[in-house]
Amino acid sequence: MSDSLSEDDNEAGAKRATDSLPARFVRIPSIAERKLGRDYTAPIRLDPRVLDQMQKTIKTLAATYKETLVGQIASLLPLIEAGSADAGEARSRLYSIAHDVRGLAGTFGLAIVGNFARSLCGYMEKHTDLDSMIIRFHIEAMRDAVTDPAPDSNLADETLRSLERLIDAADIDARSFG
Amino acid sequence: MSAPLASEEAELFATLRVLIVDDSAEMCRLLVALLEALGIVNVVCAPNGDAGLKRFSEFDPDLIITDGDMQPMDGYEMTRRIRAVHAGETPGRNRDIPVLMVSGHVGRDTVTRARNEGVTDYIVKPVTPGLLYERLRAAIATPIHIVETADYRGPSPKRRLTARAIDGDRQY
Repeated sequence: MSDSLSEDDNEAGAKRATDSLPARFVRIPSIAERKLGRDYTAPIRLDPRVLDQMQKTIKTLAATYKETLVGQIASLLPLIEAGSADAGEARSRLYSIAHDVRGLAGTFGLAIVGNFARSLCGYMEKHTDLDSMIIRFHIEAMRDAVTDPAPDSNLADETLRSLERLIDAADIDARSFG
Repeated sequence: MSAPLASEEAELFATLRVLIVDDSAEMCRLLVALLEALGIVNVVCAPNGDAGLKRFSEFDPDLIITDGDMQPMDGYEMTRRIRAVHAGETPGRNRDIPVLMVSGHVGRDTVTRARNEGVTDYIVKPVTPGLLYERLRAAIATPIHIVETADYRGPSPKRRLTARAIDGDRQY
């Protein structure tokens, strides 16, 4: 946690919080010091036994998560048309599921699925007029990456780049005809 | 089952109280399990900022791990209310509590907003065991530096906040 000052003093939020100067600076003992009642310095290295235990925990949860993920992706497919047509409940639900996948898939070793979801979320965040084909291609890529993962990661990466190019092309079209 | 820890750290983690605020049941399940692996068992979850504030008051946690985007109240607004000085806006006991935001967003606007509302540390999803363990330990082992004005008390909103991610940190 860095406490160094940045140059962006003009940002509204930062100004709001510090407008009412003078400010008072307070140093509070760490939680560890308060809990233990004595000075505490964390070891420099993370305990490898703990990391190993955490990895085992993730492996234990991974099988259940994969089932959940397959269900989530299946639930995206019926939302495509309604979700791309207008910004109603279906779009909100579609985004919410994709957002969930974006955040979790990578933790369980399905980084490419998370990357497809990230691309889909980015598309939905930046556009109000959505193309159902672009959404469908993303969802199908996510589905295939879970159920029939490509043996070659380069192929998955190329699929991701193709989706990004598709979004770029849609942007150009929108600017041309917008 | 939790791992055998150095006794001091084990002692510390055993007494730690953590509030998780996330609208994803899967994410909550993951975080609870990872904290249990660390020996942290005093953990409660809330599905959004509203519920998070209520839990904050009732549970009196030592640390909050929160998502950003949630409905009806998001993690930014929840943190703002925890840090707010004015009476009635601060529902809990420890306004200076470290708040770790775990978010899928990595854009400058999002991270600076988190910083301005009083978020202590920012972790970009996906979470990895190493990242979570490291940032959690930093949050509890580091003295807390607070700036207090007439209407704000929390980490300096003018500091740089680093978004910690598995593919590299980004400083804003």
